[in-house]
Amino acid sequence: MGEALLKVADVTKTFADVTALSTVSVDFNAGEVVGLVGGNGAGKTTLLRLLCGLYQPSTGTVRGIVDENPVDIHKMREHVGVVPEATGLYARLTAWENIRYHSRLNGIDDDMAWTRTERFAKLLNFDQDLHRSTRGFSRGMRQKTALLRALSHGPKILLLDEPTGGLDVTSARMVRKLVRKLGDEGGTVIYSTHNLAEAQQVCDRIVIIHNGTLRADGSPAELISSTGCDDLEEAYVALTEDVSRIDSPAENEGRIARAWRRLLTRGGDSSD
Amino acid sequence: MGVILLTKSPSHFSRILVVTKKELVDFIRDWRTVLAMILVPLMIFPAIFIALPLFLQGEAAEMSSYELTIEVQGELPNDLNSHFEGRNLIIIETDLLVNGTLSEPGTDAVRLNAGGIENIHAILRLRQVDSNASQSWYYAILSDSTDELSLEAKTRTLDAVLTWEREVINATLAENNLTYAEAWDPIHWDGDQADADVASGGDLAAMGLAMFIPLVVAMWTTTAAIQPSIDLTAGERERGTMEALLCTPTARSDLLFGKWLAVATVACVSVLGQMAGLLFAVNFLTGGGLEAPSVSTTGVLLLLLSVILFAIFVVAIELAVAVRAHSVREAGSILGPMVLIFIGPTLFAQFVNLQGIEAWWFVLPVFNITLAMREALMGIYDPVHIILWLSTSLAYAIAAIWWASKQFNREDLVESLS
Repeated sequence: MGEALLKVADVTKTFADVTALSTVSVDFNAGEVVGLVGGNGAGKTTLLRLLCGLYQPSTGTVRGIVDENPVDIHKMREHVGVVPEATGLYARLTAWENIRYHSRLNGIDDDMAWTRTERFAKLLNFDQDLHRSTRGFSRGMRQKTALLRALSHGPKILLLDEPTGGLDVTSARMVRKLVRKLGDEGGTVIYSTHNLAEAQQVCDRIVIIHNGTLRADGSPAELISSTGCDDLEEAYVALTEDVSRIDSPAENEGRIARAWRRLLTRGGDSSD
Repeated sequence: MGVILLTKSPSHFSRILVVTKKELVDFIRDWRTVLAMILVPLMIFPAIFIALPLFLQGEAAEMSSYELTIEVQGELPNDLNSHFEGRNLIIIETDLLVNGTLSEPGTDAVRLNAGGIENIHAILRLRQVDSNASQSWYYAILSDSTDELSLEAKTRTLDAVLTWEREVINATLAENNLTYAEAWDPIHWDGDQADADVASGGDLAAMGLAMFIPLVVAMWTTTAAIQPSIDLTAGERERGTMEALLCTPTARSDLLFGKWLAVATVACVSVLGQMAGLLFAVNFLTGGGLEAPSVSTTGVLLLLLSVILFAIFVVAIELAVAVRAHSVREAGSILGPMVLIFIGPTLFAQFVNLQGIEAWWFVLPVFNITLAMREALMGIYDPVHIILWLSTSLAYAIAAIWWASKQFNREDLVESLS
């Protein structure tokens, strides 16, 4: 694997009285597909948002590395493509217009963006739908559009927040194949999921996050062997069993959303 | 992911334009926005000033086509009877059975009330009295004000009676060797009063605009900016498009300025459309005789400057409030009543005398812009006033943008309650 592109050092992120991430340190290196694995509310989305600068750490640092020089995470954005969980498409624009809008904001010439978009659209069997309005798109079509949008400016790093969530088997398979292909071509992908089989299939390395803490970091084989388990699922259970934790999984689910809701209803500012 | 495609980092300005262009395309493709922001403002004054009078004329013509029945109680003089002709009335003559006041309906009320079986729409009571005039009468018209036909019958009868009365007055005056003008208008304005006004048609047009323009600008800028402000902020949060947008390398301030420019453009087009509709309607009503308002180049420049500063101020505040809102519904419920904060002072400022006005009026937000627009249209250029409203409006606009920018940097912008 190559040099580190993103360095997360001792990062803690709190929302009101809830700690979403606690002293997390992890590096993301060039040319690897990394799976962020954890349950709902584990802190995966928070970490992804920290990686693209949407959130600022409460303590600790998140740094990008460009040409071996550390840069502020905001400067790193032009090298990052993001597919948020909500996909975020404009319904009155076509798929291509959505993609073009973001590529223009990234400073990419339309012809260049189109060439690249068309190439990946063919891989996703989506090239015939690029000029259709996104209103009425299925979840899979929306996900493919968001993926093409994130790739249109040729980013060094791709951040995907549960990209196969809610997709049918065929669409999910296409997305996984594309991610694997990007990884094989030397791209860096950080892939959030709670699907262990998918993570094992796609990722070179898996980072397990549980209750806002980093529990494990290694290849699927390393995780299995380090726990002495037979498969990744058992290894995951072993790594996330925590007798000392206060929150039950049910309580943990959605706790960050609840914290935001409390903040939002108070109308309080957060640092940025 | 291979080759990095980044060729050059776009400037802040080009990113702002990309955002603005996209937002404008988004607006244009929404027929509701086009209807609310362009067509309604363009058509509202022509509808009020042209279509409504035409409609009322049609209704009046329809009413005049009805044949109505009048019962005349008492002796009907021939000269009055002649005035009933051509009014589509059926006259039934009966005796006057009332001894007291003619306006007391008595049992005739039942006959006239809606649903009465006699189909009489109004009753004219006449009683001749002695006097020094050629003739003198008491009269009363009984009608039902809740019945449209009865009201119409009363109007036609009254019109005939008043015409007859004028003839009686003329006859009495003639017996005394007087004309109507000599008796009723001995101190007479010679010529046309309008000719004596030294103000030109252009000055009058400018004064008329000074009464309309500030109100139109204030009302329509504030109301036109609400829906787009909400759509581009709270709406984006709700639809989940904000997170993807904030992940681009575009600075949040550039995104805000791009959105602001789009909303301001829509609001300005809306205001201009409404003004064009107003001028068209007024021109139509005056038979194309409306003179171009006499406003100097300085006045036009000051007017435009005041409109722009007002738009910057209002749109920035509305964007900031909409960003703070946690949902589209909440943003709407806050911004709707907030319009009154802008319209109230504008309405108030319309009645402030510009003659000898105190300078502090030009420091108060909203008041200052309204008064500045009035002065610009009236051709009043007081350097102290101009410096005061320009500097304070600029300060308010900068403060509003700073506040909007602060709201747009909130970390919770990617989140929404929904």
